[in-house]
Amino acid sequence: MKVILVDDEKKFATMLAKRLALRGIDIDYVNTGEDAIVKAEMERYDVAILDVKMPGIGGIELERKLKELDPCMKIIFLTGHGSETDFETGSAEAACYLAKPIQIDELMKILHEVTG
Amino acid sequence: MINRTRRALGALWPQFHRQDNKLLDPYFTFTDYHKIWALGICVLVATALVPLLVVTIIHYQLLQKSVDSELTLRTERLASNARRAVTFFLEERLNALRFTVNEIAYDQMTDPDQLAEILRNLKLGFGGLTDLSVIAHTGTQVAYAGPFNLGGRDYSNQRWFIECQKHHFYVSEIFRGYRDVPHIIIAVKFFRRDGSFFVLRATLDTERLIQTLASYETGAHAEIFLINRSGIVQTPSKHQGDIFKKMSLPVPAYSQRTQVTMAEDDQMRSLIVGYAYISTQIADTPFILMVIKQKAGMMQVWQQLRSNLNWFVGSAILVILVVIVLTCSYMVNKLYHADKSKAETMAIMEQSNQLASIGQLAAGVAHEINNPLALINETAGYVKDLFVLKEQGQKDDELIGYIDDILDAVERCGTITRQLLGFARKFEVKIQKVKLNEVISDVLVFHNKEAIYRNIKVTVDVETDRGKLQQILVNLVNNAFQAVDNGCILDIEASPAGADKGTGLGLAITYGLVKKLHGEIFVKSKVHEGTTFTITLPTRIQKEIIENEGHTGG
Repeated sequence: MKVILVDDEKKFATMLAKRLALRGIDIDYVNTGEDAIVKAEMERYDVAILDVKMPGIGGIELERKLKELDPCMKIIFLTGHGSETDFETGSAEAACYLAKPIQIDELMKILHEVTG
Repeated sequence: MINRTRRALGALWPQFHRQDNKLLDPYFTFTDYHKIWALGICVLVATALVPLLVVTIIHYQLLQKSVDSELTLRTERLASNARRAVTFFLEERLNALRFTVNEIAYDQMTDPDQLAEILRNLKLGFGGLTDLSVIAHTGTQVAYAGPFNLGGRDYSNQRWFIECQKHHFYVSEIFRGYRDVPHIIIAVKFFRRDGSFFVLRATLDTERLIQTLASYETGAHAEIFLINRSGIVQTPSKHQGDIFKKMSLPVPAYSQRTQVTMAEDDQMRSLIVGYAYISTQIADTPFILMVIKQKAGMMQVWQQLRSNLNWFVGSAILVILVVIVLTCSYMVNKLYHADKSKAETMAIMEQSNQLASIGQLAAGVAHEINNPLALINETAGYVKDLFVLKEQGQKDDELIGYIDDILDAVERCGTITRQLLGFARKFEVKIQKVKLNEVISDVLVFHNKEAIYRNIKVTVDVETDRGKLQQILVNLVNNAFQAVDNGCILDIEASPAGADKGTGLGLAITYGLVKKLHGEIFVKSKVHEGTTFTITLPTRIQKEIIENEGHTGG
């Protein structure tokens, strides 16, 4: 499975990407929504892990744009805003919300669930 | 009894700041309720009493004036009547003498027997005559009829004789004369055919005159008497001096008509003085008729009336004052209580505003902490991954244990920040399906082991605001755990004194939250036994109500 991670916290993105890579996930990571769109135009991803709050294109908007490129792409949101009740404004199709700090095992479980 | 007195006093003199709470002071609309109270009373008393007093005074003055004029009128009438009687008394007797000298020849009159006969006839006709004498133009008495033998006396130098010669008639003052009996002399001059004249003189008994005057006297406060023109009292007077002594009042000014004036006696008592200068058609007389009334005595009826009026006005004023004071106290008390409850509401609102601000601050802090926390989490996780998954370096169980400690600590911090973020959202009510036991188990994450130890189980299916319920339970459980630390005594006071135990606002917030969910919270506590919090919530809250509240409140 091919996964793209988008988070403006560079170190966090790096660490999380490394950990997922260690668990056998084929992962790319970028720090802005704009870069993510560029990547997604070039490559096809099964899953996108998006930070909700980012400068420029935010997670919610990015989700919409990625879905335009690839309607089959699964989306997992990361948020620093606590519980999932924050995301009512988000798309109903969004697969899942995870609150930071995340449990890597939980993320792995969700990844496997969304990709079947 | 004492309580009742105190309550009655409180109604008249209310203490508007009995349960003073200085914290509420800034929220009161008015600062000085005693001032409002006193001002209200003053304005009402002035508006109510000034017209009453003005009308009363005007009424008094009108009444006084009418009583005065009534008294004056009555005195004048009395003086007028008495004057007519006195005038008639003297005139009648002067006319009798005139008739006698005109009708009876001089020779007959000088005969003592004839003169005695005439005297007897006159006495029969009019009475009040003591003697008769005929005096020749030389002043020598030529004939006398009466009880005293005064024959042959010479009157030529006497004043009455000279006056009578001049004016043809004479009326004397009352005097004692030779016999030391008060009497009046009247005399008539008559010309004989030979050109000479003679005078017929009669002595009048004053008793008749005094009786006539006395018959006009009415009541103890009025007296009628005669004075002469120099103010010598001529007939007995009760108050104005002895007979033949100078009257204590000044002699009134001459007037042809009956007059009424006001005067004061030597004891400064008000007197109404009616007087008339007595003058017959035939001759002038030296008499002035005096009618004197003591005003105080005559005013007794008026004073009684005034006393009744005073009582009535006094009672009315008292009733008005009491009613005004009671009304003012009641109104200002109501105002005070309304203001106080408004102040309390505002204080609570401000407190909840502060809480909302604290919530937002907490959310901000939590959010800021979340990012570094996530970084710690991933970094520590990666280090662990390096050891465990990549098998870089020597796999050291102790080291892995330490890293797990870091990850556990991060997880706990994460839970706390999630709670804090949730706290910020507590101020918006959102109705959704919740499972209470899930909410409770979420809450108990904080005190997992202790909660299991205390064996709290709730199985209720309700629709309510999940976040708020969660917060309520967080607060209660927090409180309970603090109380246990405190030696099993649950400190239910939301007092800042327990600052080391938290903000002390926990229960207050809990109460507010329960109210927001349209519920009730009850506490039953016994020292050394424990405390039971009972929260009752409606199982369904109509969303519309909450939304409406949100709009109007917003």
